Amino acid sequence: MRDPRSSWASPWLSGSIPVLVLAALPALLFVGVLLYFTLWAVVFSFTDLELFGRKATDWSFVGIENYERLFTRRGFLESLWTTLTFTFFSAIVGQSVLGFLLASTLRRYRGSMRGTIEVCLMLGWLLPDIVAAFLWSATTSKTGLVNQVILGPLGVEPVNFLNDYALQVVILANIWKGTAWSYLLYSAALDNVPGEVVEAAKVDGANGWQRTRRVILPIIKPHIGTNMLFITIWTFTYFPLIYAMTGGGPGSQTETLPIFLYQQSFSVGKLGYGSAISVAMLAIVGVMSIFYLRLLKEPK
Amino acid sequence: MADLALKGVRKAFGGLEVIKGVDLDIRDGEFVVFVGPSGCGKSTLLRMIAGLETVTGGEVSIGGKVMNGVPAPRRGISMVFQSYALYPHMSVRENMSFGLQIAGMDKAETTRRVEAAAEILQIGDYLDRAPRALSGGQRQRVAIGRAIVREPEVFLFDEPLSNLDAALRGQTRVEIARLHARLGTTMIYVTHDQTEAMTLADRIVVLRGGRVEQVGTPLELYRAPANDFVAGFIGGHTMNFLSPEQGRALLAGTGGAVPAGAKIIGVRPEHLRLAEPGAPGLTGRIDVVEEFGEFGLYHLTLDEAPEGHREITLKSDAEGLGGEGAQITLTCRPEAIHAFDDKGAALAAGSPAGAGRADRPSEETRHVR
Ligand SMILES: Nc1ncnc2c1ncn2[C@@H]1O[C@H](COP(=O)(O)OP(=O)(O)O)[C@@H](O)[C@H]1O
Ligand SMILES: [Mg+2]
Repeated sequence: MRDPRSSWASPWLSGSIPVLVLAALPALLFVGVLLYFTLWAVVFSFTDLELFGRKATDWSFVGIENYERLFTRRGFLESLWTTLTFTFFSAIVGQSVLGFLLASTLRRYRGSMRGTIEVCLMLGWLLPDIVAAFLWSATTSKTGLVNQVILGPLGVEPVNFLNDYALQVVILANIWKGTAWSYLLYSAALDNVPGEVVEAAKVDGANGWQRTRRVILPIIKPHIGTNMLFITIWTFTYFPLIYAMTGGGPGSQTETLPIFLYQQSFSVGKLGYGSAISVAMLAIVGVMSIFYLRLLKEPK
Repeated sequence: MADLALKGVRKAFGGLEVIKGVDLDIRDGEFVVFVGPSGCGKSTLLRMIAGLETVTGGEVSIGGKVMNGVPAPRRGISMVFQSYALYPHMSVRENMSFGLQIAGMDKAETTRRVEAAAEILQIGDYLDRAPRALSGGQRQRVAIGRAIVREPEVFLFDEPLSNLDAALRGQTRVEIARLHARLGTTMIYVTHDQTEAMTLADRIVVLRGGRVEQVGTPLELYRAPANDFVAGFIGGHTMNFLSPEQGRALLAGTGGAVPAGAKIIGVRPEHLRLAEPGAPGLTGRIDVVEEFGEFGLYHLTLDEAPEGHREITLKSDAEGLGGEGAQITLTCRPEAIHAFDDKGAALAAGSPAGAGRADRPSEETRHVR
């Protein structure tokens, strides 16, 4: 029996205040660290702090100069556009749509075909980014698998995909890498759609497309929101795969915001400007999150 | 409206056959109930009629047309599911209009039908509510409403009352009966509950293990069950099964006899009564009395009983039968005895009648097995 006095607390923490405080400590610490880093970034985004040289120690506040640069200097807006393109095609269109299609198709099958596809999806997800980047580079290079096995026999001149279609290759690689998550999430979501509801729609005369659009998708809308929230944030801030594959190039064709941020902060060394970029990214991701969180809310 | 015929219908899931050849003719406007224990294939059979499950063998025809390959919406059926299966994201009105909208019906006619159905089912007041804001009983009516607006030839119900509480179940049962009287549409109703079957059906189809055990009107099944399974399944209080010796003892003072070849004797609790003082009969001691007010159920342990036939239940509204521990002697009228052979099939001679009601079963009662 639970002590009625502490019925407001979660049952396994009920009782003594010291226990509660102790249990809350890690959470407080975590929030504190997060706040510290965020504040750090916000504060230094108003300074001309640099990684090397005189301004590494002798920095001063420069007002909103760094933020003005985001819009006046070349780089940020182009990089934002690249990031949005990358996120839209690899996460929202690629991973999410492909994940949903796979989840809704494969759930009808049992056995080896489904198992094989699931293992492949998981492999992409579990493979370390650097290994994956190496695989993709090797496969799409001028002497790589695609040229050797597909284009060569067709009599097409070898193409250096990472040079000529850098963004497309990177997008494909990220779809391959991240679809497993969407697949798993949508599989779980579809398991929660009652079979009889779908059958009722069938009896009502809805065809496959109508059942999906008018019954299944609305029912799993909160799951779609959750998924979009996660993959958008992840993809928007995703760094290692692209950096290892292209380093942002050729030129700045695949320079997404995390890479731009990294270059500005650690190659160029402008930590203040870099901080402003990271604060801007935080704001953009925040706005997108609010949008998705509204999707998550149960309709009244 | 339409009649419906099943010819040698079979269904296998993988290697496992769950419907093993069902033949059935359902007349236009008839209310037919499929009844049987859980897992006997009732839902599967219904879903094959609906077109939600493919038919492995045989023929399903509705209104004279073979429907085997015809998709669900073109079979002229409506289905009410056990879980109600309302679209959770749509209002009651949208739930009911969905099928009509898909069929491309114009707005005015859709509204007219939805409102007419809402009127019949008394759900007009919450047409704009979401299903989750409704009680179980209200959801059930919406599900029925959604079935009505399609104006189907055949209504299919899969255990529509099993998620309701007892009081509401009784009430909704009557409403479904009224609906049938009002619409006159062919209805097929699946349940594992023999009370629902008895009270609703024009004809009952008793299923076991994917086979039809017996088809007949409720009274036919009650009075002349084709075998011990149907006998035990149909009836408000489960039939007592006795050994032939016990049957003889029961009838000792009545001049009746147990038919030759009988291996099992069945007698319903309501047909047992107390023997005259000093008269022979089946003796036992009362263990438990369940008092229902209008009658009592007396559970007895029999004296000198073979294994498996130790207990017997008597239903009686007589007073002074005795309380727990009392020793009593039972008898019954010879016509009330059901005799079954070693395979469980009913023996025709001497036993088809129900107590006090002498009419014979009609030709429609088919004895399977
Ligand atoms: N999709 C399916 N796949 C495999 N077996 C099934 C499937 N649907 C039903 N069954 C089996 O068929 C039998 C009959 O099921 P069902 O028709 O649902 O029984 P009832 O409705 O009479 O309880 C059960 O043994 C069940 O396990
Ligand atoms: Mg069932």
